[in-house]
Amino acid sequence: MRKRMGWLFTLMLSLALILAACGGGGSGTSEPEASTKPGEAASTEPAADPAAGGSGGTLIVGRGGDSAALDPAIVTDGESLKIAQQVFDPLLAYKAGTTEVEPALAESWEISDDGLTYTFKLREGVKFHDGTDFNADAVVFNFTRWNDTESKFKFEGDSFDYYDSMFGPEEARVIKSVTASDPSTVVFVLNQPQAPFLQNLAMPPFSIASPAAIEKSGADFKANPVGTGPFVFKEWKRSDSITLEKNPEYWQEGLPKVDSVIVRSIPDNTARFNALQNGEIDMMEDLSPDDLATLESNPDLQKFNRPPFNVAYLGFNVTKKPFDDPKVRIALSHAVDKQGIVDAFFAGQAEPAKNPIPPSLWGYNDTIEDYPYDLAQAKKLLADAGYANGIEQPLTFYAMPVSRPYMPDGRKVAEVIQASFAEIGVTVNIESPEWATYLDDLSKGEKDDLFIIGWTGDNGDPDNFFYPLLDKDSIGGNNYSQYASDPLHEVLVKAQQETDQAERTKLYEEAQVIVHDDAPWVPLVHSTPLLAASKKVEGYVPSPTGSEPYAEISIRQ
Amino acid sequence: MSDAFLKAEIRPSSDMMERKAQPGPWREAIRSFGRNKTAVVGLCLVLFFALLALVAPLIMPYDYKAQVLTDRLKPPSGDHWFGTDDLGRDIFSRVIYGARISLLVGLLSVAGSIVIGTLLGIIAGFYGKWVDMLISRVFDILLAFPGILLAIAIVAILGPSLQNALYAIAIVNVPTYGRLVRSRVLSLRQEEFITAARALGANDGRILFKHILPNSLTPIIVQGTLGVATAIIEAAGLGFLGLGAQPPDPEWGKMLSDSRQFIQTAPWTVIFPGLCILLTSLGFNLMGDGLRDTFDPKMKGR
Repeated sequence: MRKRMGWLFTLMLSLALILAACGGGGSGTSEPEASTKPGEAASTEPAADPAAGGSGGTLIVGRGGDSAALDPAIVTDGESLKIAQQVFDPLLAYKAGTTEVEPALAESWEISDDGLTYTFKLREGVKFHDGTDFNADAVVFNFTRWNDTESKFKFEGDSFDYYDSMFGPEEARVIKSVTASDPSTVVFVLNQPQAPFLQNLAMPPFSIASPAAIEKSGADFKANPVGTGPFVFKEWKRSDSITLEKNPEYWQEGLPKVDSVIVRSIPDNTARFNALQNGEIDMMEDLSPDDLATLESNPDLQKFNRPPFNVAYLGFNVTKKPFDDPKVRIALSHAVDKQGIVDAFFAGQAEPAKNPIPPSLWGYNDTIEDYPYDLAQAKKLLADAGYANGIEQPLTFYAMPVSRPYMPDGRKVAEVIQASFAEIGVTVNIESPEWATYLDDLSKGEKDDLFIIGWTGDNGDPDNFFYPLLDKDSIGGNNYSQYASDPLHEVLVKAQQETDQAERTKLYEEAQVIVHDDAPWVPLVHSTPLLAASKKVEGYVPSPTGSEPYAEISIRQ
Repeated sequence: MSDAFLKAEIRPSSDMMERKAQPGPWREAIRSFGRNKTAVVGLCLVLFFALLALVAPLIMPYDYKAQVLTDRLKPPSGDHWFGTDDLGRDIFSRVIYGARISLLVGLLSVAGSIVIGTLLGIIAGFYGKWVDMLISRVFDILLAFPGILLAIAIVAILGPSLQNALYAIAIVNVPTYGRLVRSRVLSLRQEEFITAARALGANDGRILFKHILPNSLTPIIVQGTLGVATAIIEAAGLGFLGLGAQPPDPEWGKMLSDSRQFIQTAPWTVIFPGLCILLTSLGFNLMGDGLRDTFDPKMKGR
């Protein structure tokens, strides 16, 4: 009896397999059928209705993670700022596809000769989504909220991290005062000149929110954002999707072009790509380079390159033995096959890195000579540093559990580095805790000995790489190497206060020499993040900063 | 499964035990097992993988962790019989070295479960009262969780590593053996030979380990063989979730998970580790079924 059941089971299993195979084939052949009935598909979309006043349609975007919060002032992660850019406008913005500053809510500005007073003329007639007016008082309200540590609009558990890191911490604020001289004029007075001041103001975290909405919603504002942006916030289903609708009174004539935007979270790279192929989403972020061939063979899809503006790096925790010794760090710098990593995991969509900033950024020091990949040399240097037999005590190597724009699969890259290190007698154990824990642990610097992480530039100024990532002031923040160098700090602070571009370039070139010689990092790659979209998507220009407003995007019907 | 299985299992095999005094029951068992073709296939599969695991370092054509990044995702060929993975490692070498890991995890975790389960089961069954109450309730609690979920929770607490995965699988399966042994003991305790032993002045320890334990062995062996198959699959599952073997160890489940994105473009990266999981667990299952048929007169001849 039992045996016969076994055969029956085998039979049914093979039957199921055959059926599954047929099913796969079936769905393939049914595709053209579906496309012969465009009328049916179109009628389900409200956008196709001419009475709606436009043929905008709905743009569905798939991305790797959900927003942390929707109030841009309290977040630092790219996924949160992505939504902020749709709902809010800052005073200044970046020209599409660049980090060049252009007017947004501020129409024009004047700078005093000493570089301490900035006077902004604001755009008139702009309204927040709740119907209240945008004016100088609103700007003052927002900046006071971020600047005043006692502000009653700084809600429980929130902190304005980007404000603190771009405009100085509490004891060293860059901005002295913000005042409204008339309803459409705002005057900023600074404590000291700040060269990248306008670049900083254009960053999405400094978008202007509706004071009335903040007063009304209180702590709930982070789930109910109200700004002046091209899209009005509609609904947030956590870990699933965010729905936005067209702002019909947007101050930029003719924008946005689509009627609504749905941003879905699909963490798995392969699942996200499948959703795009099946037409469930119109556009996706972080395409795995291994899927590039599949994408290019599909006539319905197109590829977008985000301009490379990032760095992925292997960081050493310099507070831990043996990485407190620069000789060991330099020795291991010789043991990382950057070109091999680029060829294997980035399908040519990246270049090996030798500096903390990407070559497209001004101030890049091309005279730096990278430590070449040379295991014999690495072994020799390691012996010189006193580790002739390698390092047997296993070191903890943190590798990212999620895909990032600068590195689609950190764990695989870590495995390559692990193998090279093993050849020179250095043992590492790869660990990948959950993403939030990962970042927390790196900040504290207690558990990890070395790690992989990266950074995408926010505003086109080298300061935005060096200061948060390598200055001693940023230890406990984004300086995950816990690297404290007084000479570097001196150079960086000088560069912040200097307003002459040529002089600043020189200072940043010097900073790169210091970092190269101390080797707190092994810079790995500067990658070109890949995005993919249906051919119907038009007018999309990816920004180097990692996110951009979707106002110019249209969907061809 | 365990309840229905236990009831069907225990009583008849105790009958068999009483006949143990007759000459050559083991020889008869071996002959009966030999007549069972599927069981022999299972045994062969198990022996094959066991042999593979033993001689793996000798027959591996490449070092299982040697990466050649320029040779990534190469299809099967004369150089690489099973192709290469996305780090340019030889899949054939990894798969046969993986046999070592999977069999080791399977056997050790089952051994662990059996030792702990048997001990607890004997104590619970023999002493009864509150001891039985306590141990049985602990088993109930453990069984109330889905096995893999409990294993994930345990690994999450201990930290992901092959060793901790092994502990987790062992802990999860303890109640299976514990309950099996407990019910065996409950029925054996009433038998006359135990009363006789007691009358002869044997102490608890002697009765437990010289009389009751040997008479509980066959169902444990059957259940253990089947359990190895489950343990291998559970280890692969944990590996797939990144909670078992850590890189660069070529655990089969981990190999599957590392390569799942290539299932369309480079299917050999998932087919071979997948087949190995299938064949080893099939082998242990067939062998376990065969053993059951052999040792279980109620099933015999059907």
